[in-house]
Amino acid sequence: MMLLRLLSWPYLKKHVLRWALTIAGIVLGVAVFVAMHVANRSVHAAFEKTVQKIAGSAQLQVSAGEFGFPEEVLEQVQNVPEVGVAVPVIESTVETGIRTQGSILILGIDMTGDRSLRDYELDSADESIIDDPLVFLAQPDSLLITREFAERNGLALNAKIPLFTVQGEKQFTVRGIMSSTGMAQAFGGNLAIMDIYALQLVLGRGRRFDRIEIKAKDGVRLDECKAAVQRAVGPGFEIDPPSSRGQHFDALMQSYTTATGVSSLFAMVVGMFIIYNSFSIAVTQRRSEIGILRALGATRSQVQRLFLLESVVAGFLGSMLGVLAGMGMAVGVSSYMGDLTEQVVGVAQRLDELAVDPWLIVGALAIGIGTSVVAAWIPARSAARVDPIQALQKGKYQVLSAGENRRRRAGAAVLVVISGVCLFFNNWKPAFYTGYILMILAGLLIAPAVSLLLAKALRPALKKFLPAEGTLAADSLIQSPRRTSATVSALMLSLAMVVGFGGFTNSIYVSMDEWMSTALNPDFFVAHSANLTNRSITFPAEVGQTIESVEGVDQVQLVRDARVIYGGTPIMVVSVETEKLLSKVKRVPLAGNSKEMHALTAAGKGAIISDGFSSMRHVTLGDMLDIPTPSGLLKLPVAGVIRDYSDLQGAVFIDRSVYLKYWNDTTVNVVRVYLRKDADAAEVKRRITDSLSGKYRLLVMTNSEVRAYVLKLMDQWFSMTYNQIAVAILVAVLGIVNTLTVSITDRRRELGVMQAVGGLRNQIRRTVWLEAIGIGIIGLVLGMGLGAVNLYYSLGMIQRDLGGLDLDYIYPVGFMSLMIPTILSAAFIAAVGPAESAVRGSLVEALEYE
Amino acid sequence: MIDLNRVSKVFDGKRRATALENVELHIPRGEVVSIVGPSGSGKSTLLNLIGGLDRPSSGEIRIEGENLAQLSDDGLTRVRRDKIGFIFQFFNLLPTLNCLENVALPLHLRNWPRKKIEDRANELLDLVQLGHRVEHLPEELSGGERQRVAIARALSVYPPILLADEPTGNLDSRTGEEILRLIQDLHARLGSTVLIVTHDMGVAAQCARTIRLRDGRIEGDNRR
Repeated sequence: MMLLRLLSWPYLKKHVLRWALTIAGIVLGVAVFVAMHVANRSVHAAFEKTVQKIAGSAQLQVSAGEFGFPEEVLEQVQNVPEVGVAVPVIESTVETGIRTQGSILILGIDMTGDRSLRDYELDSADESIIDDPLVFLAQPDSLLITREFAERNGLALNAKIPLFTVQGEKQFTVRGIMSSTGMAQAFGGNLAIMDIYALQLVLGRGRRFDRIEIKAKDGVRLDECKAAVQRAVGPGFEIDPPSSRGQHFDALMQSYTTATGVSSLFAMVVGMFIIYNSFSIAVTQRRSEIGILRALGATRSQVQRLFLLESVVAGFLGSMLGVLAGMGMAVGVSSYMGDLTEQVVGVAQRLDELAVDPWLIVGALAIGIGTSVVAAWIPARSAARVDPIQALQKGKYQVLSAGENRRRRAGAAVLVVISGVCLFFNNWKPAFYTGYILMILAGLLIAPAVSLLLAKALRPALKKFLPAEGTLAADSLIQSPRRTSATVSALMLSLAMVVGFGGFTNSIYVSMDEWMSTALNPDFFVAHSANLTNRSITFPAEVGQTIESVEGVDQVQLVRDARVIYGGTPIMVVSVETEKLLSKVKRVPLAGNSKEMHALTAAGKGAIISDGFSSMRHVTLGDMLDIPTPSGLLKLPVAGVIRDYSDLQGAVFIDRSVYLKYWNDTTVNVVRVYLRKDADAAEVKRRITDSLSGKYRLLVMTNSEVRAYVLKLMDQWFSMTYNQIAVAILVAVLGIVNTLTVSITDRRRELGVMQAVGGLRNQIRRTVWLEAIGIGIIGLVLGMGLGAVNLYYSLGMIQRDLGGLDLDYIYPVGFMSLMIPTILSAAFIAAVGPAESAVRGSLVEALEYE
Repeated sequence: MIDLNRVSKVFDGKRRATALENVELHIPRGEVVSIVGPSGSGKSTLLNLIGGLDRPSSGEIRIEGENLAQLSDDGLTRVRRDKIGFIFQFFNLLPTLNCLENVALPLHLRNWPRKKIEDRANELLDLVQLGHRVEHLPEELSGGERQRVAIARALSVYPPILLADEPTGNLDSRTGEEILRLIQDLHARLGSTVLIVTHDMGVAAQCARTIRLRDGRIEGDNRR
């Protein structure tokens, strides 16, 4: 501790900028980690809170995916002797006509029985509602809203709220205001209660419920009750505690959380290299101080401890600041993720508070400090090994020894071989990930040697470009591999991440474009909302007939899609009119024969699955699917596998006739409309809108609008990861600033000599700029190389664990062409400050600097 | 050639230190002058001021009639590169450049044509008898050889003034004598004005004029 105060503190004071940059690496890494985890947790907690609050005292819920089930099931459940209370529920977001409000979550309940599960705690209501629920029922335009919602929108009792129902905009009346406790806290207060039968009409659901909530009879164990209900309703229903919705939510968000986890890990590793760099430099610069310490009797372990202690302090400070910054970032990230949940679960989860787990903070501190200590370990060990005699001699710069370089090369070769062997066992998950990690490690080990080669290769070019400045810049890179290699490695890692991510997005956009051109080829799509992921509002199949009768329409195809729980997690089931679809959509199956696949599906003797479903569920051609339906398990063999991006969890396509039979539901949520060749699209669109006007509130969207919508969803998914990449690159650029700042200090005498023998200020500046650009070029070459490997593994990871998408390997040439000027400009900007400091200050001191 | 008029240099730190005080000096073209004095007497400060590496706190320094105080940093640099060659005690060669590149550095900074640079650098290395070592890095040379390279670099543009700060201070006595002979030989050939800061009275004795400094003032100025 004494040594820390005596030696480290003065050094720190003298190099505040460098330490600030070092700590910035930790701050950013920890901040990204904290922001992502707090945001994930907050959204999850808010969702669970909503589920809990809405569930009231319900212990179990009966559901059959998003399709719902016929009303008769309620009676079957109520007749189960073990069931105490069983009430039906419909839950959906509905757009309001209040401009500042957007959507609201509406819970449709049966007022006559529901109060035994939920307490509405009305603090302002028509007395008759509290006394007699039938009054509520008698007036189907009734709504109960929360105090918060009322205050936010200036609504009082008997105020009117416009809602966009399937039949158009309708006025509803506020009949009661719930106090801001209990259920009214769910979904940030954006909640309304409506009579379930009225809500069926609003949503065009027919006589169906979303779920039945159950309280077991007193004295009956929950598992007994569950088993009894399961027997009564059959295996097509899910019977679980309400909290299971949280698990489904997690399953749906998993691909996102995994992706953000991987990129925050990358950011942390990049930060680690910056710390390593700073400490390596500190050891080099303080070698004479270390020499004196050793000469005065300090042991090797004391010297090592001194540097490790410094790293603990840096790690602690960086982590604390990172936690604070991460909490700030989490607010923005949570809001983004809240919106994202709307796509995934149909409910935009709004947050009223951040859910911060104290253990996460402890974990973040541990990670920050741990990262710092691990990164400082090698430099600290080097410090302990400093030879006091050499250290006290002037001009003895430490360079990476040839032996060390050889060992690294050999290590890298071994890792590449092991990684190559792992490729043969790619189907085994641990082998795949081991191979991935080892390959990245090999890249990191070989980076210093390759950097050196590249710097040597750059020398003639730079020398030719600017003989004095170019030579000195290249020599600085060549002679100080320890100074530059960590920065180059950090840059390499960041760029490898960019290539991996850029390649993945490039591949997915190319594949999506291909998919949209074939599968999403109708001229119009008719749906209730522009938000095609909102499947809660349906409309009758007659709409299809109405549209088909419009002049200029060639064909309509009815689609009903929704999620069901398959093997414990949600999947998308899409019912289509197979024969009609085949006549318009020519898709080449990845497995199976196109003709046979469609024939079997159309005949209700098979199902088509998406490639994502196939790889995530390990299901292939001929395997039997057990799809839960209200009529029991639907057993269908896989008739074909197609490339499809309807849903990240994977999709199963069945024929509409099968859907009608098993779900006993005639509604649709999308109508695909094909026009005659000679039809005037704008005119036909007007005619369709007119034909539906007054009966249904449906939107007619053009093909390009839907494509734009799909691409917008994709962009939304990727936007946060783009930000994380930007952070990783920022950390790497900080590394360049750090390296150059040190380079200027290290080369103070050299730059002084250059000025003494006639170097103008601009020539000195150019030397520093060229060095930075050299680091940028080397980082780019290495990053692009390691990126090619990273892309291979990223695509494997996506196919294996994130959406199961089988994407083509397409190196993102265009994307990386943009990175070249970006990185070189960033390197140049990073060099401006250090270059200015190089031309300032005393020339005499510079010449005497050692 | 070199004129100093009431030149003072004060270092303002925690304690104010006067390195030079009202120094008046005139050195005509072609003279070989040694500057001697105990440590802290202001020898190196004087050399740095004349070389344009530092600026005086007060007073005027003129090199070939040009007032250094009126020049910008780049103006000072131009004076250094066109009129002055430096030889340092610790050589100050760039460790990453070979002998030829070290000697060529000032010429590159002047943007000379490559061929001319190469010819001149080779010529100078021949002059200091290191023509056979052009590709060697400084670390592969002995102390004396390093100082020869430094001298060749200082002479690269045949500057009218050669400033040497303890040129033999880091060398054994035999090598020191060789370096001194070389400097005198070059002076005879090129006719440069030479200023040598030294502790070594033997070195001073070989110069035509010796200026003795003490506590920042000129204590003696003897011509032989």
